Amino acid sequence: MSPYDSATSAGSSSGSSYASSSTTKPADIDGLLAGAGYKVRSSDLRHVAQRLERLETAMVNSPVELSQLASSDTVHYNPSDIASWVDSLLSEFNHTPSLPSDLPDLPDIVVGPGINPTVKIEGDATWMDHDAPHQQQQQQQQNVQSLTIPPNQLTVVAMEEDSGIRLVHLLMTCAESMQRGEFSLAGSLIEDMQSLLRRVNTTCGIGKVAGYFIDALSRRIFTPQASGLFGGSVSGSASAYENELLYHHFYEACPYLKFAHFTANQAILEAFDGHDCVHVIDFNLMHGLQWPALIQALALRPGGPPLLRLTGIGPPSPDGRDSLREIGLRLAELARSVNVRFAFRGVEAQRLEDVKPWMLQVNSKEAVAVNSILQLHRLLGSDPNRSPPIEIVLGWIRQLNPKIMTVIEHEANHNQPGFMDRFTESLYYYSTMFDSLEACTLQPEKALAEIYIQREICNVVSCEGSARFERHEPLAKWKSRLGQAGFRPLHLGSNAFKQASMLLTLFSAEGYCVEENEGCLTLGWHSRPLISASAWQAAPDANSPLGIVNHHHNNHNAL
Amino acid sequence: MAGSNEVNLNESKRVVPLNTWVLISNFKLAYNILRRSDGTFNRELAEFLDRKVPANTIPVDGVFSFDHVDRVTGLLNRVYQPAPANEAQWGILELEKPLSTTKIVPVIIFFHGGSFAHSSANSAIYDTFCRRLVSICKAVVVSVNYRRAPEHRYPCAYDDGWTALKWVKSRTWLKSGKDSKVHVYLAGDSSGGNIAHHVAVKAAEAEVEVLGNILLHPMFAGKIRTESEKRLDGKYFVTIQDRDWYWRAYLPEGEDRDHPACNPFGPRGISIEGLKFPKSLVVVAGLDLVQDWQLAYVEGLQKAGQEVKLLYLKEATIGFYFLPNNDHFYCLMEEINNFVNPNC
Repeated sequence: MSPYDSATSAGSSSGSSYASSSTTKPADIDGLLAGAGYKVRSSDLRHVAQRLERLETAMVNSPVELSQLASSDTVHYNPSDIASWVDSLLSEFNHTPSLPSDLPDLPDIVVGPGINPTVKIEGDATWMDHDAPHQQQQQQQQNVQSLTIPPNQLTVVAMEEDSGIRLVHLLMTCAESMQRGEFSLAGSLIEDMQSLLRRVNTTCGIGKVAGYFIDALSRRIFTPQASGLFGGSVSGSASAYENELLYHHFYEACPYLKFAHFTANQAILEAFDGHDCVHVIDFNLMHGLQWPALIQALALRPGGPPLLRLTGIGPPSPDGRDSLREIGLRLAELARSVNVRFAFRGVEAQRLEDVKPWMLQVNSKEAVAVNSILQLHRLLGSDPNRSPPIEIVLGWIRQLNPKIMTVIEHEANHNQPGFMDRFTESLYYYSTMFDSLEACTLQPEKALAEIYIQREICNVVSCEGSARFERHEPLAKWKSRLGQAGFRPLHLGSNAFKQASMLLTLFSAEGYCVEENEGCLTLGWHSRPLISASAWQAAPDANSPLGIVNHHHNNHNAL
Repeated sequence: MAGSNEVNLNESKRVVPLNTWVLISNFKLAYNILRRSDGTFNRELAEFLDRKVPANTIPVDGVFSFDHVDRVTGLLNRVYQPAPANEAQWGILELEKPLSTTKIVPVIIFFHGGSFAHSSANSAIYDTFCRRLVSICKAVVVSVNYRRAPEHRYPCAYDDGWTALKWVKSRTWLKSGKDSKVHVYLAGDSSGGNIAHHVAVKAAEAEVEVLGNILLHPMFAGKIRTESEKRLDGKYFVTIQDRDWYWRAYLPEGEDRDHPACNPFGPRGISIEGLKFPKSLVVVAGLDLVQDWQLAYVEGLQKAGQEVKLLYLKEATIGFYFLPNNDHFYCLMEEINNFVNPNC
């Protein structure tokens, strides 16, 4: 057991404690390094510096190992946490079998009286400490600056045409007048915009996006609460089928959902390592597009595939068809063809909050993965007379104590209370998304993907209350929410990042970018992240004497 | 060998604050892993490790930003501006009216460093630096996300710089002053400084007006080994070996370091005498091994009859301007402010 092993695990748990612990005060983190994107506690600086020195020494002394590191599949996690990153690399050096026998002593080992004591680095306080008052003050100001960057993330592709710019200004003015309740002004602005639209290219760019937003604003004034047409809470007979169709075309036209599935599957595969009975709970089965890849990956697992159970949640199907079961049958056939023992169960629920854990029939011996692709935000609408659905659902997930919960959400702030804020955010968000879609040439995938996106826009802009279920919140908010609900992050590493990057080069146009964000991954268009992927597990229960979470078979009582 | 490494680590620790040492050492070690001895670069890992931040049209500490992407080339520029005084204007971009019709607002086109291979316009360290520039100089900053080596060699970075300059000059909403034009400065650190020089040459040849160049320990080199390179090799975060690697990655294959891209006043350099070249502010860090080449650059400008001011910061290492925790940072910012706001 190398001396760095404990350091490594301490490093990684301190990494997760930065993410989810409420006891680490922001003032502990070095403010200037935070502005550079790194999380190091001020009190840890010296320790981290020593680690960096050791790493450098190791790299200098073992050039062969260094070149292996450069081209190998060493997996890196959460580079924001310098301490754990350095420790994980140090452990790479220490575990290599070809450690040279003439490795010089590490500097902090005392070697004898003849050695010049200035060579000893341990405990040297040789860094310059600037205690000048104005710099301290600046440092404090910098602390505040780097820690109060709000989660608003707005980017825009600058519009070249004058009409395009005028359209945006009119949209903003119209939204503002709606917020103020000046509906007749809003109405006349809509007419102005509609006539301006006729002079603008509406097949691409700002003209196309503006068209959808004008439409959404007009619905807000003239047909409020009509969102029932757009699936979700009130679905007509065609709705569930339409939703699935549009979703499937959105999946094909651009890489967002592929990235989601890919990243979640990778994390689930890793979490299931060593388990013979595994159970995946999919919060929104749709056509089960995510699962063939996982089934095939499990089939190829060294040591053989586990017994895989899949529980797929979805809305009740119209016209008596049991569409969940049909998907299940197809997946079962695939599983059979690759010799994976497989069992499927469909759970029909109009809304996720209607699902009760006993419906999932989780048994105590299996490793559970909960998979939520763009579902959790739908639980954020709250009725003052009921407990918030998000809390209920997160509560029973935690009680299941899953090996992993994969969470994919829009990287957007569309759930703010003020209409104007939501409108502005979604205008920029969906402009970027439409921009990325321009590269797609597949038809009818592209056209149907646009309708899929248009429905989201309508819900964000023209609906309120329980009818509004597209309540997107950014990753930073989800991290905080999940942390408070008793979850801690499982970091997605450079492996997943590399594979996501490769996925993009295979499937997509230039301009998409994957970014790492403290153990989570985001996919965006140019520099604007649009969708985030993160993984979680239940944090140990502080109240339980053994620190373990209530086991899931106690659920019956909890209900 | 190991002994000299210990001495080197001690030297760099003595001259920078602890958090700066951690930051730059972290970069140094990460970059060592990313460069492969066969000249290839681990781009996926580089992107994974790079800390990036999104733009934000809502002002933070008086500065907001947004990204512009050219539809045809995919070139991204991140624009930073001082926050509008009227809070009701926050989040809404003014893309029609000029910055001012009365006073002059300098527009600094910034080329980030990274030895032509590392970093992006949305890297956290550069986003933070550009925001500070805006605050202190009351300027607009446009940070260019130029294509990097080794995937894109000379002259891609210069071409992207030139494209960005033309874009900036043609924006009505970047104009200012009674003469209603875009008051442009070019700036860059390390490789960005090198890019700024070459874009300025192209601009002067094309008679596109650039009011000044700000070169922050710019990256230059030549075939011979200068005294400063030999003396400071490995002592303050940088080695001759890594400098050589980056030039091999940027220059056309088979070229040597007397190529005019890295040695503009060397044996293969092209004279800029008589050219309407902008005034230059060249900042040299006294502990940077490249300084002899930077000083030769200053001399080259002088011999060509061009206006240049040298700011020599004796005890500064590379990257001193990433964190505002040292005197060199404040000195630098004051000089830049005076350079772009000469009448204030």
